[in-house]
Amino acid sequence: MFSRRTRILLSVLVVASLTFVILDLRGGEGPFASVRAVAANVLGGLERAAATVFSPITGAGSWWSSMRDQANQIDTLSTENESLRSQLETLQADRTRVAALDGLLRVASVGQYRFVPAEVIAIGPTQDFSWTITVDAGRNDGIEQDMSVINGAGLIGRVLKTTADTSTVVLIVDQGSAVGGRIAGTGEIGIVAGVGVQDELEFELLDPLADVRVGDALVTFGSKGGRPYAPGLPIGEVIEVRGTGGQLTRVARVRPFADMSQLSIVGIVTKPPREDPRDSVLPKSEGLGIVPTPAPLVGPEDATADAEPAPGQESAATPEPGTAPEGETAAVPVDEAAP
Amino acid sequence: MIWRQALIIGTFTLLAVLVELTLLTRLGIPGATPDLVVVTVVAIALAMGPVQGAVAGFVSGLLLDLAPPGDTLVGVNAIVYVAIGFITGVVVDPRDRTVPIMMGIVGLSTGAAVLVISGLDTMLGSDRVDWEQVPALALTSALYGLILAPGVILVVSWVVRKSTPEVFVA
Repeated sequence: MFSRRTRILLSVLVVASLTFVILDLRGGEGPFASVRAVAANVLGGLERAAATVFSPITGAGSWWSSMRDQANQIDTLSTENESLRSQLETLQADRTRVAALDGLLRVASVGQYRFVPAEVIAIGPTQDFSWTITVDAGRNDGIEQDMSVINGAGLIGRVLKTTADTSTVVLIVDQGSAVGGRIAGTGEIGIVAGVGVQDELEFELLDPLADVRVGDALVTFGSKGGRPYAPGLPIGEVIEVRGTGGQLTRVARVRPFADMSQLSIVGIVTKPPREDPRDSVLPKSEGLGIVPTPAPLVGPEDATADAEPAPGQESAATPEPGTAPEGETAAVPVDEAAP
Repeated sequence: MIWRQALIIGTFTLLAVLVELTLLTRLGIPGATPDLVVVTVVAIALAMGPVQGAVAGFVSGLLLDLAPPGDTLVGVNAIVYVAIGFITGVVVDPRDRTVPIMMGIVGLSTGAAVLVISGLDTMLGSDRVDWEQVPALALTSALYGLILAPGVILVVSWVVRKSTPEVFVA
């Protein structure tokens, strides 16, 4: 059928191929392995050159092949991105909540207040000129009228009205609000009234001769039965003193510790501590008079009387252990809760 | 003019091997890699005849086996490609060279190459062949062969007709 030459050539090719297969099957080192290595070297060099020539095309090729996956990938990634973004927002909101609750817990544990946490759900409109908020705890949570409302920084107001599940809180900056206040350290008392501005209060001292300084901290004096204001809650810091000593009344401007424009989680004090925590709840980092001096647990009349021999000097009040009759100090109110 | 034929065969097979290994394998095409080498062998066999087709198959199969990153048994591709080149040159009657027949022989060759080489590898003890993938690979290889066929056959037959007209199978 075919010429002799063709048959011979075909046989040679097939036999050669089979020989290669058999040699390769035997494996191991030998002349065949080195031939193979040389061939691989030469062809490898050629492949490198070819790859350089083709590199623009292979780059385009990989782009083309990745195009097929990119639609899927974009879908997956955007879904993931959305969920991550919402998680991040939740996380930030959670952090704020945690910080607010942390502050509340600090106040509550240092001062031994019992409180119900609540979230601000509505704020009265500014054009009403009333500083009120609504929180999501009401009679069902044990909230009653005239309970003190705090946040991590200090006093923010009192409960004005309650419904079954919500309460209306009038803030201390409301113009109708008046809180009995006491200067930490010296014990001078007075009335802290709101002026209708979110970051300002007015402190009117009862004793016109009393010594007030910028930086003095105010805490609540406390009402009978803890209503409307529980004792020892931080109110604010004196930022300006008007009028000189000897005038009929002395008035100080006070900036509240709590930022009334950023209320989120608040605590409603359902039960004041058995004993006045005095100044211990005040933030430690603040200025003068906030160091929890072992102030004597005395009534307001005594406090004013005490102020006369040592007018306004915390250092003078400190080294008088005799005035602390039962050794009850404000610095360690927590331990004295046990009867 | 035997040297000129050898030069043509060597150049085309080497080019086909290099393009297949460095370009076509990296395009990320689904399924099998387009088997440019088989298409070239078929094209040479169609243009020059069965003997030259067998030689082209032998050379290109050997190159494919030896070139990195090839790690298969040396000679398996060579045997299969020798058969493809020779059979193509014999069975295709030069008188009815129609495009469908030429494309059909390319498709058959590329598809069969996958099947036969997988079978030979398995027979010779390789456990790499995944027979579940073989049908899909054979089909895609045949498809890509059909796509490559017209261009490769045109180029090869043009070069053969110009440089070695004495062996050109019209």
